[in-house]
Amino acid sequence: MKNKIKHSNLLVCSCLLFTFAAFGQSGNGPSYEDLLNGFTDPSRWLTYSGDYSGKRHSPLKQITPDNIDELRSIWTFQSGTTTRGRGWEGTPLLDDGVLYVTGSNNYAWALDARTGRSFWEYRRNLPDDLTYGASAPVNRGFGMLGNQLFMVTLDAHLMSFDRRTGEVLWERELADYQIGYSATLAPLILDNKVIVGISGGEYQTRGFIDAFDPVSGERIWRFNTIPGPGEPGSETWPEDPQVLAQGGGGTWMNGSFDPDLNLIYWGVGNPNPDYYDENRPGDNLYTDSIVALDADSGELRWHYQFTPHDVNDWDSNHMPVLANIEWQGESRRVVMVGNRNGFFYVLDRVTGEFLLGEPFTATTWAREIGDDGRPIVVNDGSLGCLPDPWGSTNFYPPTFFPGLDLFILTARETCATYVPEEPADTRGQSNFGGTVFIDTEVGYGALRALDVHTGQLEWEFRYPSPTFGGVMSTASGLVFAGDHEGNFMAFDAESGENLWHYQTGSRIWGAAAITYMLDGLQYVMIPSGTTLTAFALRNPD
Amino acid sequence: MSTYKASFTYFRYILAPFSVCYDPSSVHTMGLKRKVEISSYRLHSYLASKNFCLMAAILFFSQSVTGQELNPLDGDPRAARVGGSIFSAQCATCHGADAKGIDSIDAPDLTLLYTNSGTSDESVFSTIRNGVSGSIMPAHTFPDAEIWMLVSYLRSIGLSGISTVVDGNPETGELLFLQNCSTCHRRGDQGGALGPNLSRITQVRSLEALINSVRSPSAAIARGYKPVLVTTEDNEQVQGVIKREDAFSIQIMDTDQYLRGFSKSSLREIAYEQQSWMPVFSETELTNQELNNIISFLQSSL
Repeated sequence: MKNKIKHSNLLVCSCLLFTFAAFGQSGNGPSYEDLLNGFTDPSRWLTYSGDYSGKRHSPLKQITPDNIDELRSIWTFQSGTTTRGRGWEGTPLLDDGVLYVTGSNNYAWALDARTGRSFWEYRRNLPDDLTYGASAPVNRGFGMLGNQLFMVTLDAHLMSFDRRTGEVLWERELADYQIGYSATLAPLILDNKVIVGISGGEYQTRGFIDAFDPVSGERIWRFNTIPGPGEPGSETWPEDPQVLAQGGGGTWMNGSFDPDLNLIYWGVGNPNPDYYDENRPGDNLYTDSIVALDADSGELRWHYQFTPHDVNDWDSNHMPVLANIEWQGESRRVVMVGNRNGFFYVLDRVTGEFLLGEPFTATTWAREIGDDGRPIVVNDGSLGCLPDPWGSTNFYPPTFFPGLDLFILTARETCATYVPEEPADTRGQSNFGGTVFIDTEVGYGALRALDVHTGQLEWEFRYPSPTFGGVMSTASGLVFAGDHEGNFMAFDAESGENLWHYQTGSRIWGAAAITYMLDGLQYVMIPSGTTLTAFALRNPD
Repeated sequence: MSTYKASFTYFRYILAPFSVCYDPSSVHTMGLKRKVEISSYRLHSYLASKNFCLMAAILFFSQSVTGQELNPLDGDPRAARVGGSIFSAQCATCHGADAKGIDSIDAPDLTLLYTNSGTSDESVFSTIRNGVSGSIMPAHTFPDAEIWMLVSYLRSIGLSGISTVVDGNPETGELLFLQNCSTCHRRGDQGGALGPNLSRITQVRSLEALINSVRSPSAAIARGYKPVLVTTEDNEQVQGVIKREDAFSIQIMDTDQYLRGFSKSSLREIAYEQQSWMPVFSETELTNQELNNIISFLQSSL
């Protein structure tokens, strides 16, 4: 009898275990709690940045500065879809040994993370009259919640898939692609919300951030990045409602999230037209700003504008990096941004208070950021070089290394002259309003580590040409980065010394690495050109 | 392309200028096949610009502007001017305001477009219309007439080479070429590879540019021919020209015309030279007449 009870208890226990295992690993996918836990379980990479903070800093320590010589490619996957002129910009998501990956031209796959073989492939049948989507046919990745995947499209739709089969569950139009809209970002998944933004600020569009119900696909709220007539912020524009209706302000890079404050942090792009400004006097809010939105309502809590009245196409579509750091003797909840305009910023993320703004490239347009947070512009371009329209950095992710308190980003040193010209009023066609001369002889790129307390350069590693590669770091003291010549590299986080490099065969453009544990091995992964490569140590201890 | 959009674009670019520059009734004399809405769009500043009046005038005098193989606007300098405006608005972001391309996004130098013997007005038209598959060069729904204007513009800025026949003796020039140039430069099936192939050079460089590059070869050195001197770990010194370079390696052609790749970690030094390996040919070493003879040889048919 005793034995029987024991046996039955065991059976119940093992059933429970089995149920738990089944629930946790093979079927239902990550919950909001799992997303909140971020890097707690390092066998997963569940969101674009790995967690909500945007630090792109993994706690993994198997690969170290001492053993990185042994890092080898394990497998590669070929996408078969190219975007000459751009890159494979997506971040794969990993759960339960399966990678969920999006590629250029709205291809997508589920891949066996152990071998790189695919379970399913999806290709969207795109219209042949894409607007902005045709000139930037890229995608930055899935969002995932439970068994659902979420992806935006070049014809400005949001789609939901069954992650087990790749079957489409629903799709919703975000905006009319024929006007100039497109969508490329990785959706940000919250508790019962899918947050997305829109591309197309080079066209006569009006940007927005949307929240959708993941199950029904119904829209919950919309935040317009260009205010309507009479709304707060409209005083920074002329009164012409037509100008407001096509003021740009794309939201094409996903943001970060602070669950304690229930705030979403999101970057806003350039005003339209990009270079020509005579029809839009004023600061042109909320272009080139970061906005902090209430996650439940989409209401604006605060904003900070990096480049008031932009005439250089310096979108602020960057991953806002959230950290709690010591600031002048007290702990402070901050958000950090390395901006396209060449300045590194630290803001209080509760209030939006300006704390620091220092240049991280030699070529800038402002002497300094005043105590009031407004730039003191010294060079409108008439004094020579300005950063080119791709900027001193761009959307590709930086990393924050806690403890060292380094903000590490890919910087671009460029030299451009802007020639504004009144644009044609051409709905459905790009509307830059001028041209740019770029002196390609003098440009270069660099991986730069900034002390977040001062903005001062701690170390750098130079690349021959201006680079679009993202950055990731690991707690073992490594920084992973990619360059325009196709090198995937690892650096010592403290000294900046290059420790390892691997030629991928194509530029690393827009992408940053991810890392995770699988079968006792720490993997590192980077997309490049048409190739996704998985690396691990040959003989881990 | 949807019919709606086609009509829409047609109105804005083609018909509207007439309503500004000419009697609107003339719209119906254009023989356009598509029915268009005229009244529902307000006139914008662009429509009143001189470019659009000009465009309208050009179109008025061209018989047909749709789907043909030869540029119906060929030879009309006004077409190139308007094409230049369209280029600035729609193409310059990727190809550069000077149309010389932007390497970092693979946008090619369009001033060299017509130096490729496979390029025709028709192929350029087709590339603009259809885009380049697998790249960020999109298809364009501009009306045919506008694409032909862009074609006219691209032809007008293409490097056109030497327009006159240079006064020289090509037979003597050939001997001089073999003595002085062919070690490094190729023409037809003869010559080296350290410097640029000169088989078509007179078609893409002006006389002045060619003379300058002989008299002062270091003044402007093209990418792919920049001089470098590397020193290996065992102190071998290698002179060459840089073909490619990244943070960790350099790919060169040495002056013996061997392709050689080096890991930078295996090199003691990389000296980026300012002076081209090409010798300076002053007038005492190569008289103006001798230089003319060489250019005359380069101009002669292969």
